[in-house]
Amino acid sequence: MALARRLPLVSDRPAAKAGLRSERTLWPDRGPGVFEQELESIEDALMTTTVEKAVAWAQSGSMWPDTFGLACCAIEMMSIVSSRYDIARFGMERFSSSPRQADLLIISGRMTHKMAAPARQVYDQMLEPKWVIAMGACASSGGMFNNYTVLQGVDKIFPVDIHVPGCPPRPEALMEGIIRLHEKMRAGVPPAYEIRGVAE
Amino acid sequence: MTPTGVPGVAETLEAHGETTLVVDPARIVETCTYLRDAEGFNVLVDVSGVDYLGWGGSGVAGYIGTEAGRDLHAPGSQGFQRVPADKPKRFAVVYHLLRVADAPGRVRVTAWLDDGDEIDSVVGVWPAADWFEREVFDMFGITFRGHPYLVRILMPEDWEGHPLRKDYPVGGEPVRFSGEE
Amino acid sequence: MAVMPAQRIYEGTRIPSPCPTILRIDPSEHDLDDILTINFGPNHPSTHGVLRLIVDLDGEHVAGIEAVIGYLHTGFEKTMETKTYWKGITYPERIDYLSFQANELVFVLAIEKLLDLETPEKATWMRMCLSELNRLHSHLVWLGTSALEMGAISMFWYAFRERDMVLDLFEMVTGVRMHTRYFQVGGLAEDIPEGFYAEARAFARHMPKAVDDYEAILDRNKIWLERTKGIGLLSAEDALALGQSGPMLRASGVDWDLRKNMPYLAYDQVDFDVPVYPNGDVYDRYKVHMDEMRTSARIVAQCVTRLEEMRGDRWIADDRKVVLPPREELHTSMESLIHHFKIVTEGYRVPEGEVYVAIESARGECGCYLVSDGGPKPWRVKFRAPSLAALQATATCVRGAAVADLIAVAASLDPVMGDVDR
Repeated sequence: MALARRLPLVSDRPAAKAGLRSERTLWPDRGPGVFEQELESIEDALMTTTVEKAVAWAQSGSMWPDTFGLACCAIEMMSIVSSRYDIARFGMERFSSSPRQADLLIISGRMTHKMAAPARQVYDQMLEPKWVIAMGACASSGGMFNNYTVLQGVDKIFPVDIHVPGCPPRPEALMEGIIRLHEKMRAGVPPAYEIRGVAE
Repeated sequence: MTPTGVPGVAETLEAHGETTLVVDPARIVETCTYLRDAEGFNVLVDVSGVDYLGWGGSGVAGYIGTEAGRDLHAPGSQGFQRVPADKPKRFAVVYHLLRVADAPGRVRVTAWLDDGDEIDSVVGVWPAADWFEREVFDMFGITFRGHPYLVRILMPEDWEGHPLRKDYPVGGEPVRFSGEE
Repeated sequence: MAVMPAQRIYEGTRIPSPCPTILRIDPSEHDLDDILTINFGPNHPSTHGVLRLIVDLDGEHVAGIEAVIGYLHTGFEKTMETKTYWKGITYPERIDYLSFQANELVFVLAIEKLLDLETPEKATWMRMCLSELNRLHSHLVWLGTSALEMGAISMFWYAFRERDMVLDLFEMVTGVRMHTRYFQVGGLAEDIPEGFYAEARAFARHMPKAVDDYEAILDRNKIWLERTKGIGLLSAEDALALGQSGPMLRASGVDWDLRKNMPYLAYDQVDFDVPVYPNGDVYDRYKVHMDEMRTSARIVAQCVTRLEEMRGDRWIADDRKVVLPPREELHTSMESLIHHFKIVTEGYRVPEGEVYVAIESARGECGCYLVSDGGPKPWRVKFRAPSLAALQATATCVRGAAVADLIAVAASLDPVMGDVDR
């Protein structure tokens, strides 16, 4: 895990050093808020966009999810590929079965203890940067199953960026989760494994 | 419709339009072979296990109906429930059979076992029994003699304990509420 | 019922009984140096969920196969023993998550059988209508994903277009797309909204044209025929011996459908055909699924016609010991309040006994074996999973087949891992 990043981290706060005073809250205001406006004016003044923003734009523009459908939520995950909910607008219709080519792991469905080992293996095989969405109640917290065999939340084995509630979440709800993930990325929030660390 | 003259049957019960044959576990293969060949029950639908540990301990009183049953036309009727009768042994292995023919029929075969008892596998009679018996073994710990590959099927291979037994806890974690200490 | 004679395409390829559920390499037939063991791991491109197949390949042919399941074992049966019957109805839906209402229905029917409770006719017909819509939903997802796996990728979008229409109907009636929890002991949870009849009728008119579209793409497609004809053969005797039911059995020539042979709900009052095909290969299973889609659309149209006549009727039984009283009564009647309280907190008590109820879900015979000890929670619930029986037949169907055929056969068996593992 010792790839030294040469790009300045968010914590270097280049925008703050350039005079930014407001803060970004991810919600409730979905529209451009004070933060975005200040940032834009600073960038206009400096006539640059930071490299991280460009990289984040590229990463969020075509994240490839991994086919990790487990149970009922997988059916709703498949339906975001269908023509009504069309995830191809976001460049994400290419579900990659090989974790080595995937950016996003959407855990859709209940994770059992028996499945936890292969799931962790898939997560480890993904290359950085990688994001995880825990889709549905079962992946987020064990859902309605609080028993000997269901893992109570998939964030016990790897760090999760976005939890999408629902049983199963509507395709629109999953897309909302994906779009919030894109917003997080573009706002410069690093993937969850950098914030929370990964247990070995 | 009720099969008669079936070898190994200790008693025949009828309830809710269904026939249950209580069978001596030592003669289960003989009984099943007879039911398949002579009575025409060619499909084994299901093999389940039931654990009756603690049966009848949950009390008697209820506002449901009279002992004979409930009368839908007298919805305010009160009375006491039947006390559940004691079961002969702890475990029951229940086979559901189906006759796919012009005159369809179903029958249930029950074999009573104690903890640690073994029973012969009916894989030779219906190959469908294979995974069903593995599941009963996995969930209850009942060993089927003569099964070609009796290993755990649903739980991981190194799991200890048999989950569907009544003395095995449901497990899971206590739910933590935000704001509590 | 007639067991149709096996046709010429089938001779010489019968798997000798006993029908194997695991294939082991026979050292006399295969040189052990040539064997490559591959793990089709729990996470794989085929969209059936977490099934693991350990396959021994001799060149490209399958010499040994073992299916490892249990990666989705959720402990439904143990968990349901701790929930009252009313709360427990949410659980069976998640077992076979493609034909969710079938599981719900079988559990509710089992409780009603033990309670000796009669449901009003409107509820029976609506349950039938929703079960058929659910069968359509399941077959559409099957078609989309199986064709996707075998390379006919564009079928996925066509099938899911109709699937979204079915889910719109569910949402209109129940408020949720999947896992609707609309069936209650005694009938339905709520009345049927007025707009449903017109929409359902329009859908039932549209569906056969959609099936025509799918068949136009696949039926005489050379690649599809090469990949499905003569693959994955299962004879009628083997199918019965392996406990198959549903489309698997009907594609092998056995004319058996619980809706016709052992009718439940009001299936003896609707007019429909049961498709049976003789060859027992993947192509026939595909044809059975397509014909069943047409049949379901027909049944839905008939149900809607009958339901329109019953507008304004009761949708749930009147037995206040089991069914919640209407909310307006809670303000005026003390008894209703007490009943409501007891039913919600303690749960209604189901008389002691054991019962087995089976229905024809999209995958075959879905059954519920319910043992009650007279209390408010079930003592033992066992769901008979049609997918478990279907998956057992994998080894018998793929002996000697190539790897690509293995994918086609696994797709045609229609296993849903939630159903297999429960």
